[in-house]
Amino acid sequence: MSEATTQAVGAQAGHLYQPYLVTVSEIIDETPDTRTLRLKFQDPEVAQSFDFKAGQFGEYSMFGWGESTFCIASPPTRKGYIECSFKASGKVTSALREANVGDTIGFRGPYGNYFPIDEWKGKNILFVAGGIGLAPVRCVIWNVLDRRDEFGDVTIVYGARSVGDLVYKRELEEWAARDDVNLVTTVDPGGETPEWTGKVGFVTPTVEEAAPSAENAVAVICGPPIVIKLTLPALTNMGFSDDAIYTTLENRMKCGVGKCGRCNVGSVYVCKDGPVFTAAAMKALPAEF
Amino acid sequence: MTELQDLAHKLLDEGTVQVVIGWEDSRRGARPVTITDAEDASRLIFDSRCVHNLATYLNPRRSQVRALGKPAVVVKGCDTKAVAALLRESQFERDEVVLIGVRCGGVVKDPTSDGVLTEETTAPRCVACDVREPRLADYIVGEAQPEPPQNTSLDDMVAKLDAMTPDERLEFWTAQMEKCTRCYACRQACAICTCDRCVVDKTVPQWIERAPHARGNFSWHLIRALHHAGRCVECGECERACPAGIPLMLLNRKVQQIVAESFDFTATDDLDAVQPIGDFLADDHEDFIV
Amino acid sequence: MSANAFISNEQLAGLVAAVVASGTRVIAPVTADDGTATYSPINSLAEATLNGALPNPSLKAHFLPPTETLMSWRQHGSDIEIGSPPDSFAPQLVLGARPCDAAAMDIVDSVMNWDYKDELWNARRDATTVISLACPGIDDSCFCTAVGLGPDSSRGADVLLVAVDDGYLAEFATERGAAFLADNAQFFSAAADTAVAQADESRAAARSAVEANLNVDTKRIEQWVGDHFDDEFWLTLGPRCNGCGACAFVCPTCHCFDIADEQSGVGTGVRRRSWDTCQSNVFTVHASGHNPRGDQNARYRQRINHKFYIYPSKFGDALCTGCGRCIRACPAGQDLVEILQTIDGMAANEQEGVA
Repeated sequence: MSEATTQAVGAQAGHLYQPYLVTVSEIIDETPDTRTLRLKFQDPEVAQSFDFKAGQFGEYSMFGWGESTFCIASPPTRKGYIECSFKASGKVTSALREANVGDTIGFRGPYGNYFPIDEWKGKNILFVAGGIGLAPVRCVIWNVLDRRDEFGDVTIVYGARSVGDLVYKRELEEWAARDDVNLVTTVDPGGETPEWTGKVGFVTPTVEEAAPSAENAVAVICGPPIVIKLTLPALTNMGFSDDAIYTTLENRMKCGVGKCGRCNVGSVYVCKDGPVFTAAAMKALPAEF
Repeated sequence: MTELQDLAHKLLDEGTVQVVIGWEDSRRGARPVTITDAEDASRLIFDSRCVHNLATYLNPRRSQVRALGKPAVVVKGCDTKAVAALLRESQFERDEVVLIGVRCGGVVKDPTSDGVLTEETTAPRCVACDVREPRLADYIVGEAQPEPPQNTSLDDMVAKLDAMTPDERLEFWTAQMEKCTRCYACRQACAICTCDRCVVDKTVPQWIERAPHARGNFSWHLIRALHHAGRCVECGECERACPAGIPLMLLNRKVQQIVAESFDFTATDDLDAVQPIGDFLADDHEDFIV
Repeated sequence: MSANAFISNEQLAGLVAAVVASGTRVIAPVTADDGTATYSPINSLAEATLNGALPNPSLKAHFLPPTETLMSWRQHGSDIEIGSPPDSFAPQLVLGARPCDAAAMDIVDSVMNWDYKDELWNARRDATTVISLACPGIDDSCFCTAVGLGPDSSRGADVLLVAVDDGYLAEFATERGAAFLADNAQFFSAAADTAVAQADESRAAARSAVEANLNVDTKRIEQWVGDHFDDEFWLTLGPRCNGCGACAFVCPTCHCFDIADEQSGVGTGVRRRSWDTCQSNVFTVHASGHNPRGDQNARYRQRINHKFYIYPSKFGDALCTGCGRCIRACPAGQDLVEILQTIDGMAANEQEGVA
């Protein structure tokens, strides 16, 4: 277990399994199959005081359909709302996709541990993400950008299968426009459109090409298993130690509070000891995730 | 070594099969075993405690058994009916498994008991056994055995339920359904529950409520019984597996009785038999699926 | 706090009658005509069979029911009104709990209060006074002594009764137990030395009987299991296993659950939690279809891992009270006594440097 990531016990709406009521205030279709919901707490006191740390997750529910686990995709520096991004792949996510602006859904959280951003002060940060893996990373990217002075160079390498699969396109534009961020976007060969001005190539070689220095730096990576599998050794080659690489592990979670027994990887409970792990901690886990 | 052990040893030694699925003795009676080493063939036994339907280990959802390689499975005559059902439904090919048939004199319901066969202890499935000789098997071992005592308690109870009024039957079954905790031991023990994703595990849509209240449990058990119409070989393993003691065979027996009356079909080891619900024939005398 | 007192059979019947009359529910083992037993409400001591058949389900069903409502809701247009579950439950008394069942509740308390407090579990625990009855041991599947408990353990009990001539010796194990004595002192009298001696003897005999079934070092089992995730030993357990939940559901310490919504009408419904099991093939499956525990070898390994390595490493107790129900319930003949014996043997060999 990494000593760098610690866990905050979340506030509760009432009973442990009782969700906060949140209203869908905005719907953004990132891609044809990925949707972001912006959610506002109905209780004004909760709206005022709700706080979390980048990397934490929640249980989002459509009443009558059930709960689903997503990271909180918006940064803690933006108050008054939280966001989640998901693909409609099962019963609950399909139901959530049917929610309209103004509808009430449920939210339990924040659960889990978080990226230890305070420990990264003064360091350079490399963010690497693939596909929808940008969702949990986006939260910590904004957290860092909202506190920009505290950190060194910020490099973001983000790739997806095709231009259509890139998520948070409007934010990619914002990041590209900033001169205090080095953003490199790429799509897989064959995924480019005639208008595409970014790179063409898989995420791993794109990271190697960008080659930010590992000196006084940390890396945050999230994406499909294949991206992680290929990029981790590349980061190691670039000089990042396993303690300086952070990722977020999504396992099947249900209660979110360490009781239902579903999410453990060996003796590590992803909902309590994770979902944020250093590469070192992840490599120490048994092959059960 | 016995005939069975010798045969298993030979099949493993020669590489004809990579695993023999049979029974062994244990601290608590007879139980299934997977033997992958020819030297372990001497562990194999067969006696009246060997009630388990080992055909269930051929069920394709048991990926960790498949991973052991080509199997030989020791089967009683009744178990071969389950193998035949799986073959008729194309769950695997006939040449992918070796069947070692054992001549059986009846089995007791409780494999942890001393195995003495009486009208009370003998499994109901042994009533009017028509597969004393496990014809489907590639090899048949063991001596011919006397016919077992007949335990007619199952048919007696089915008749008793038939004689009840619907209200009385509902009261009987509600009490049983309140005992079920949805462990799915019935499903998991069953040789012919072969669905990759069981209907109760499907969530889009949620066909069957998953919560173990009586209402949800009724849905589960009645639908499972219906899914087994014309497929169930009445081995009774579901009822034996149930930790709550629910008399599931009363449901399955009744459904198979109806199938027998309506379609003149009973569980069989005949590979060419036409299954009333599962098979479609162009000249079916019904002009719709029911 | 083990003040010894005596309660005769008649006095116990009187105590039960008094508690029932006061409106408190009394739960005890009740044997049905077919010989099976359940922990069920009784109105008089005569309805109970103390130290008869081992009840199924275990006492767990009274603290974590097979299905339980976490909340309800009612929809009004786009708005939702949430209904909460009870904050507390009516006081109840369990009489004649097996020590393995009582200890199980104490063990599960740890995970139910691990950072987050599970209010429903705690509320049921708070409402319940547990009177255990020392057990003579049942059969060769009992192994409570091997996991640090025993047929006369008072763990998880407020009062422990030990059968003696004409009645029971009563040991008051907790403050709540002491309060129970104070409230019902008229039913108890001083214990005679002969009764105490008789109780000591029967307790020792029961312990010997159970110890004979299994004697292992759970600490080195914990170590071995934690260190040997990839051992081929796990490949020998999965093939026999049916992958059902019989072992988990009869187990007094297994507590894994699923959470699912159920519509109960138009715009109304409940969110329930129901018993679930790591042995189910869909327990860990992801929306993508990826399954970290894709076969029964991995799933059965998880069962042993959780009970004998993960839970002890986090909370100090094995997630097992040695009641033996899993062994008796398994239709495929999985035998935890044998498994623990084998692991302990391998662990011992390792300790002694034998290959």
